[in-house]
Amino acid sequence: MEDFIPVIPRGVRLHFDRVRDLWVLLAPERTINLDPVGLAILNEVDGERSVSQIAGDLAARYDAPVDQITTDMREFLAGLMDRRIMETRP
Amino acid sequence: MAWTKPIIREIECGMEINDGGVLF
Repeated sequence: MEDFIPVIPRGVRLHFDRVRDLWVLLAPERTINLDPVGLAILNEVDGERSVSQIAGDLAARYDAPVDQITTDMREFLAGLMDRRIMETRP
Repeated sequence: MAWTKPIIREIECGMEINDGGVLF
């Protein structure tokens, strides 16, 4: 499967919601509640590293199979791309 | 912390209010 570099688009940012004590991904007219793993993924999205590079780092940190992390990450990022709050570059 | 499949939970009609929170 082709590797790609995920990029958080201009106007979208991580935000700590002090009222509800959780991290959200804030986009124009959209807010996504983040669970700890979703937040961990987005904290690694720097516009420089590819999905496979990020998955390798997370696999080491979580001591989990890199294939599982890659699959889950791709599905998570695809869901954000469908909502136009994640972009990619080759 | 264990790896769990990340879930996207979208909040409908979120509006940021005044860096303090999200109002619904």
